[in-house]
Amino acid sequence: MNGTSRPARFMWSLSSVGERLRRSRTLASVSGVPDIAGHVDFCRQAEACGIESLLMAFGFTRPDPVAYAAALGRHTEKIKFLVAVRSGILSPTYFVQQINTLSVLTSGRVSINIVAGRVPDELRYYGDFLPHDERYERTDEFWSVCHALWRGDGPVDFAGRHYRVESARLNTPFVSDVDGPSPVHGRPEIYLGGNSDQAIALAIRHADCLLTFPDVPDRLAQRIRPVLDSGTDVGLLVSLFCRPTRAEAIDAAHELIASAGEQARQLHGAMRARTDSVGYTATYDMASRESDWATRYLWTGAVPYLGPPGIALVGSPDDIVEALAEYQAIGVNQFLFMGHPDLEQMTFFGAEVLPMVRARERAGVR
Amino acid sequence: MPAKSRHMRFHWSLPGSGVANRRRGADPRNEVNPVADLDGQRDFCRRADELGIDSLLLPIGFQRADGCVLAAAFGLVTKRVNFMPASRAAVISPTHFVQQINTVSAFTNGRVEVNVVSGQGSAELRYYGDFSTHDERYQRTDEFWTICHALWRREFPVDFAGEFISVEGARVNQAFVSPDRHRPYIYIGGSSEQAQQLAIKHADCQLRLIEPPEEFAPKLEPALAGGIEVGVTCNLVVMPTHEEAVDHVYRLAENAGEAGKAAVADWRRMTSESVGFESIYRMAEDRSPWLTPYLFCGLVPYMGPQSISLVGSPDEIVDAIFEYRRIGVTQFMFQGRPDFPMLEMFGSAVLPKIREREAAEPLVATGDLVHEGR
Repeated sequence: MNGTSRPARFMWSLSSVGERLRRSRTLASVSGVPDIAGHVDFCRQAEACGIESLLMAFGFTRPDPVAYAAALGRHTEKIKFLVAVRSGILSPTYFVQQINTLSVLTSGRVSINIVAGRVPDELRYYGDFLPHDERYERTDEFWSVCHALWRGDGPVDFAGRHYRVESARLNTPFVSDVDGPSPVHGRPEIYLGGNSDQAIALAIRHADCLLTFPDVPDRLAQRIRPVLDSGTDVGLLVSLFCRPTRAEAIDAAHELIASAGEQARQLHGAMRARTDSVGYTATYDMASRESDWATRYLWTGAVPYLGPPGIALVGSPDDIVEALAEYQAIGVNQFLFMGHPDLEQMTFFGAEVLPMVRARERAGVR
Repeated sequence: MPAKSRHMRFHWSLPGSGVANRRRGADPRNEVNPVADLDGQRDFCRRADELGIDSLLLPIGFQRADGCVLAAAFGLVTKRVNFMPASRAAVISPTHFVQQINTVSAFTNGRVEVNVVSGQGSAELRYYGDFSTHDERYQRTDEFWTICHALWRREFPVDFAGEFISVEGARVNQAFVSPDRHRPYIYIGGSSEQAQQLAIKHADCQLRLIEPPEEFAPKLEPALAGGIEVGVTCNLVVMPTHEEAVDHVYRLAENAGEAGKAAVADWRRMTSESVGFESIYRMAEDRSPWLTPYLFCGLVPYMGPQSISLVGSPDEIVDAIFEYRRIGVTQFMFQGRPDFPMLEMFGSAVLPKIREREAAEPLVATGDLVHEGR
């Protein structure tokens, strides 16, 4: 199977670093001003921990990920920036120009996370009034233009329903990280976050990796089969509660939801009503339908408090290695973690889990 | 006359074709690699910072690297100079644009300004998916900046329904970070009537290509009467003596040669909608190259409209700048051929004299920054 021959790749989310109760507050109350020194420290620690790239999400509560990555790139050497982008809020040509500029400044340490946006209200902040299904069509057009520009085989002409460009060309090249783990050159490695059938089709068409929420391995295996069959990687976006013992990990998980509290639960009740994201809705449903323990290590107990990204792998280092191996066995080869708190969890992961994963990979045990 | 700047401000346009390039504008745009000398550009920014340049323009266009991203990177290796990415309304959502600019402000402590431009002409705008006409572009730009200003005033939620751009409930949590401003200082480039109206409505300064002072003065009146500043854009040729400066411009023309003329002819076809560019081309065709003893348009056929030049010794350049100050010009956007030695000469031999003379001949500052409330 697809994942068995390749080492797992690990990413971390930078987006809520420093916020212990991420996603448990109303978004309008988040200041948006980044803790720059804290984030630089986090980037360096990620480099030391063996994390390959850091996700920089997009949204009105956050700094702009492209401009922010340009700044963090100047303070770091190895870490890559997985920059989230929505189509519909900028020209594909202009987007490629920004990403190429960022690639020059960071020697290619940039990859892309395509997101569709999950709350129509917020998309309208940016002037985007399209319904869910048309967003996918537009995203398809956007990436068709981007790929043509990156292929660089002459001026680009494209006439779609949402985008039209004529004789487009850019003089700023994309600079690849030739020593890095990315298997693609001449353009950034592209991730696509989503769970709907449309997202899967888009990932197969335009992306190198589908990023999706975890499910129990059997169900997930079915859902991702067409993706893997097309040669596209699959990655999991998941929270991590890993502590020296399983009991401590479970305690940490419960402690987090206790401190997030009832207000967070109400917030996510409201969020659930507003979202038009298939993945979000499915994960909320899974959390309310089944036991909190979907498997011995997959826990949905935090979803009502932290939203779907609160779906978590919980356990001791041995448990987590085991869990990762189960997902690797069905072909998942990338993992994007969030920690509570991030810095401590990432450091613990780098010291206690990652060496065991690598040893296991070297031994050929799956 | 409202003179809101107690000090004149001096800016430089960062060359994408290289800080040591004496052929700026004389090579086909398709052949320019804007990142080939990125380290040189970084050194140029640092030196401009040390020499007391106020702002560095980061132009926009297909032949350029992106100005917002460069501002973020160069902002971190400088201490006091501002960065002025150019902006086009049709390539990005205004909400996203404000978010990008505010992000840059957060790690430069507000050292970011914006230069609003309408583009290099229809053919190039279509590279970016913008198929609008000249007049539609101005309306779109007007809508864009109406939204940006509301976001910077933090009048959340911002609702706006325009012909080209609509937003609903918009907010950006990341504020513009600055010791003394709630938004970036805004320049609008252009010489057309529409550019002038747009500048008065949305900007703090209108940037225009330079012309001889007597014919220039009446054209500046609407902007000055509208309470905004006026800046001029030109090439700067300053050498230790008058003779060396004059000799330098003739050698620049010779060096650009027929290839330069061909590149400019192409460029002129591409940018034929620009009112300001056309008037400079015609000036260069119809008149003696020395429009005044220090203003030379003889490079224009070889290196384009932006190569119209102030030429002279340091003392002559100081005098020329004060002639423009007399008619209300308070900001200057230079480029050089090559840029680095001209920057060095301006910063070390001209700027100190300007500051000295400004102190001796102060402008009466009347009125406040009327647009700060915008």
